[in-house]
Amino acid sequence: MGMKRRWLGNSVSYIYLTILAAVATFPLLWIISSSFKSPGEMVGSPLSFFPKEPTLLYYDRVLNVLNFDVNIVNSIIVALSATFISIVISALAAYGIVRFFPRVGKVMTRVLITTYLFPPILLAIPYSILITKVQLANSLVGLVITYLSFSIPYAVWLMIGFFRTVPLEIEEAARVDGANKLMVFYRIALPVVAPGIVAVAVYTFINAWNEFLFSLILINSTGKMPVSVALYSLTGAEILDWGEMMAASVLVILPSVIFFLIIQNKIAGGLTQGSVK
Amino acid sequence: MRPIRGIVLAVVLSLLMGVLAACSGADNNNAQKDTSTSDGTNATELKGEIVMWHSFTQGGRNEVIKKAAADFMVKHPGVKITLEVFPWGDFYTKWTTGLASGQVPDVSTALPNHVVEMIDADAIIPLNDLIDKMGRDRFYEAPLSEVTKDGQNYAIPLYSHAQVMWIRKDLLEKANLPVPQTWDELFETAKALHNPPEVFGLPVPMGTGDMMATRFLNYYVRTAGDTLLTKDGKANLTSKAAIDGINYWVKMYKAVSPESSINFKVLDQATLFYQGKSAFDFNSGFHIGGVAANSPELLDVIDAAPIPRMNANDPLPAVETSNTPLVVWKESKHPEVAKAFIEFLYEKDRYIEFLHSVPAGMLPAVKEISTDTAFLSEPTIKKFSHAVEVISEAVGVGTAVGMEYGPAPQSGLLTTQNVIEEMFQEIVLKNTPVEAAAGAAEKKLNDLFEGLE
Amino acid sequence: MKRYRRLLQTNATGMYFILPAILVVVLLLIYPILSSLYFSFTTKHLIRPQVKFIGFENYISILTNPDFYVAFANSIKWTIVSITGQLLVGFTAALALNRIPKLKGLYRTLLIIPWAFPVIVIAISWKWILNGVSGFIPNILVNIGATDELVQFFANPDLVFWTVVAVNIWFGAPLFMVNVLSALQTIPAEQYEAAQIDGASSFQSFWHITLRHVRVVIGLLLVLRTIWIFNNFELVYLLTGGGPADLTMTLPIFAYNTGWGLKQLGVASAITVLLLIFLLCVCFLYFKLLDKWEKEDEM
Repeated sequence: MGMKRRWLGNSVSYIYLTILAAVATFPLLWIISSSFKSPGEMVGSPLSFFPKEPTLLYYDRVLNVLNFDVNIVNSIIVALSATFISIVISALAAYGIVRFFPRVGKVMTRVLITTYLFPPILLAIPYSILITKVQLANSLVGLVITYLSFSIPYAVWLMIGFFRTVPLEIEEAARVDGANKLMVFYRIALPVVAPGIVAVAVYTFINAWNEFLFSLILINSTGKMPVSVALYSLTGAEILDWGEMMAASVLVILPSVIFFLIIQNKIAGGLTQGSVK
Repeated sequence: MRPIRGIVLAVVLSLLMGVLAACSGADNNNAQKDTSTSDGTNATELKGEIVMWHSFTQGGRNEVIKKAAADFMVKHPGVKITLEVFPWGDFYTKWTTGLASGQVPDVSTALPNHVVEMIDADAIIPLNDLIDKMGRDRFYEAPLSEVTKDGQNYAIPLYSHAQVMWIRKDLLEKANLPVPQTWDELFETAKALHNPPEVFGLPVPMGTGDMMATRFLNYYVRTAGDTLLTKDGKANLTSKAAIDGINYWVKMYKAVSPESSINFKVLDQATLFYQGKSAFDFNSGFHIGGVAANSPELLDVIDAAPIPRMNANDPLPAVETSNTPLVVWKESKHPEVAKAFIEFLYEKDRYIEFLHSVPAGMLPAVKEISTDTAFLSEPTIKKFSHAVEVISEAVGVGTAVGMEYGPAPQSGLLTTQNVIEEMFQEIVLKNTPVEAAAGAAEKKLNDLFEGLE
Repeated sequence: MKRYRRLLQTNATGMYFILPAILVVVLLLIYPILSSLYFSFTTKHLIRPQVKFIGFENYISILTNPDFYVAFANSIKWTIVSITGQLLVGFTAALALNRIPKLKGLYRTLLIIPWAFPVIVIAISWKWILNGVSGFIPNILVNIGATDELVQFFANPDLVFWTVVAVNIWFGAPLFMVNVLSALQTIPAEQYEAAQIDGASSFQSFWHITLRHVRVVIGLLLVLRTIWIFNNFELVYLLTGGGPADLTMTLPIFAYNTGWGLKQLGVASAITVLLLIFLLCVCFLYFKLLDKWEKEDEM
């Protein structure tokens, strides 16, 4: 086999990965660079990477004129609420299934995947009617509720895999010490599945932060829009301003990227640990 | 159970309020007198929260409306006005989904084509009382009749503009060419000035999600003396005028338009002109503001001209006029507040300030303002007096697309369902024969119209 | 064993644990599906109040509408091509990452960045990069002499579909990469050493050890991504809106246009029900295959 072949293989790998990394990161770098370019440079020199006269003009307009900060706060509220509720509900459910209904476990997993099949566009129709009926149209609460539709099934599915790894013996010991079922769940089982909770949190938060369709249909006022739809409405303004769109995009994507990079090691195993047995 | 309990609750509450009011009557009266004397107008003070949707997304117009709302709230402390801004492109989806979910505003801007659909959906209320109060004969006849059904005026015209041709005087001069009068001349001139990527002769916008291609086809069909909707409300895309028109714009697209204009919506189209990259364009007086914001150096070299016609000696073409009105929604809990706010917007100084926020873009809907020196003395309007004259003449003779024979709900579908835009894309991208594509589009539209009954 | 069982099955308290989740599933998934199913047999309209039951009329009108088949074919093509691309790029990237001795963490971090992009930002940034006038890529292609004119990625009928697919691959490959990589890392090194001693070629050990180990993960990813891509509305809608000339029209956009453009919610419901039935069939097949693999792995 020889060193030579290994060296060759590694070199090819490095070259390949470098190309992929360039493609993967270019859009992010490009929108950041564009967001600081002056209006003239924006259209005038499409190839220059470093802005000649860096300007904060667009950020100023996006935050102070378009009040984009309100939309960012909305998104944070919605994403955090959806994440918290999803964790609580899915952890309870997954534990319940694993401990109390182990035999239906496999069927349940399949049922949960099946719900993932439901096209969001199909759900959008009844949601727009349902949410209106309960007077929650155009409210962040209504939005959080609809987000549970995509987060809960996946979260339960993921958590089932994690709870299966919790040894019964340690729970048994706690039971002998007189702890009730909820306490066993909370004190003993939950800490063991912490990585699963992180995976659920990441999945739900990112999906809620990125969600577009339900917000498009359910939210009518600018002050209540999450960032995705607020950003979309920029594309239809009276004057097509790429600079504003770039600045707003950077504001939307930075939290997402930073969050992602911090927890990236945690998400790695998420799917494999959680779902494969 | 629920509704009954609700009613009982409401009755009890109102009784309670009545009693309370009676008990503290003396105090209340004093308080009321104080406010009404200080502001010197209304005997019964207005109260309530209203929401206004408008589509003035950027710049001056938005500011003027904001200020007007703030002033109104100062004048009527019991009133709260919430403003919501949506770009025109989203507006249609917003009000249709809003209507479905019970989330409509109290008062909003609209387009005449939308108004007809809103009437059809029983979503807005007649404003005859308001118009009579403000003086019916102050308004122009045509814009009012566009929003009138069975004698009920469902909207109140706010401003008007018309589609005209925009030219670059500098490019014409340099090539030593006159302003084109006919469609054939326009094609030749656009070809002569076409110099990509610096300048495109005339971008032909065909993007779906917008009505630009419908608009362009309508220019041609109207000047050929035909209409896109027949008198009995059928689509009319296979007439000689329509087929010629489709062929004309396809030819223009292939000769002098950027390839990407197949996806252009109004903004993409306008942006090219603002940046000085189109030799010709069609739009209203809004182009002046756009150029001023993007390339002020071009302000001296742009001008408006009448839309071309078939023959140079044809009369002034009656093409497309847009009279943007305000409507009051049926769901509104405080129509009296909404109406009072509308009236407030028309107070002379405020109204002129509003019109001036897009100088020469918005022409008054109220007769006496058109000739008022305060309106006419604005620098841009003065500078572009020729363009304003061209637009004013066009406003007088045009109608909304598809409303040549009066308000027709079909015109709403004609302009919002992108059937004509898709037809153009089919022809250009898939080489579908023009007659076949036009026939298919006509059938598709007529099928859609059947759903109206 | 018996002791445990008693602990497990004691009483109904287990129900309390799963009740909230069941409520969510029933209210947010089962009920909406049933009501969509019901609407699909009616004249449900976005803004008109009257609703009439009309049997299979919506289904008939869809199944006789050529536009439906165009969208259906596009959806299938878009799903297959995108998922193959995502798998290939993601898998090869994972293999490369797994073998390099240094900078593994850095590359991995850089490569997952697209995954963090909200769909709307994907759309805006790629539309800007590929913009037919001021976009970076069309201009650089002219600049290096690869093309004479600015390439129109969203207007050229031969390119637009592939442009959207490429963006989807860019976005989706990291998910494959990360999950395949973590599966690769669980393969015990002894297995490769044993294979080497047995004289297996590197292709043989790749086929019998590597692929065999990661195929269940890949299978699951394929199921999840197939569903996601087939159902995806946002990405295509925001990039092209289904155009030009329906070249990128997929079923979810077709349903959206019918429901919110034409306001025919009944017809739109019928389209989405058909979409769901199709996906159910595809998933059923997938699960058959996955079951087979899982059994083989246990043996």
